[in-house]
Amino acid sequence: MPPELTALTLAALLQVVQFALVSVPANRELGPARTASPRDRDRMGGSLEDQLSQGTARLYRALANHFEGLILFTIACVVVTLSNSTGTLTAICAWVYLAARVLYIPAYYFGWVPWRSAIWFAGFGATAVMLLTVLI
Amino acid sequence: MTETTILALYGLLVIVTLVLQATGAMSQLGLGYLISARDEKRTVSGMSGRLDRALGNSVTAMALFAPAILLHVVGDSTSGQTRTLAMAFLLGRVVYLPAYVFGITGLRTLAWSVGFIATAVLYFLAL
Repeated sequence: MPPELTALTLAALLQVVQFALVSVPANRELGPARTASPRDRDRMGGSLEDQLSQGTARLYRALANHFEGLILFTIACVVVTLSNSTGTLTAICAWVYLAARVLYIPAYYFGWVPWRSAIWFAGFGATAVMLLTVLI
Repeated sequence: MTETTILALYGLLVIVTLVLQATGAMSQLGLGYLISARDEKRTVSGMSGRLDRALGNSVTAMALFAPAILLHVVGDSTSGQTRTLAMAFLLGRVVYLPAYVFGITGLRTLAWSVGFIATAVLYFLAL
């Protein structure tokens, strides 16, 4: 399997881990009766993510952010593979993306400023470069 | 232009949308807030709000469009028809962004519909 697709698989598994990192503390904080409910705002007294502790809310935002990044990264990996544009550059970009998304979680949780944004930008830039290689 | 190239171009369009949205958010909320952990929720308004909503909608459209294209490319069922549909999607989304930002009400919905219907037909053809 080309390194880009290995990185993509690991990135998708990272999203599964991130989901667990949010859902476990969220259920402990709010109780399964609330998380399993239809989450109607009028009965919950607002939106669910606003009732999480600060740390869990940060992990929730990190999860939501990675959905966006992962869709773009999926396209980048698959498109470079299908158009035979893979090479050292795209492989490096794919690993940079994965490393950035792993680091993004503690960066968000511990509030590393401005490193969270810098780490996010590394993943974003790597994705953009991969997409651009298809056009060149 | 192949379906794969069109998909890559749409990915780049979303990246451009994200850069515009971040620029708008920076002007309204400040760099200090954007690089913070954002524990206090702040929202953007006006044109930045439109860019924010356009980005959200573009990401949803991307999550639907990418599998539709990949089904045809991996399944070896690309044709002139799928190419035209992919192109229609891309053009619809290119029009969608300025239509949202400048508040051209009917055009935005029309452009969105073109992209949405093109995606739906791509799935239909894959069956």
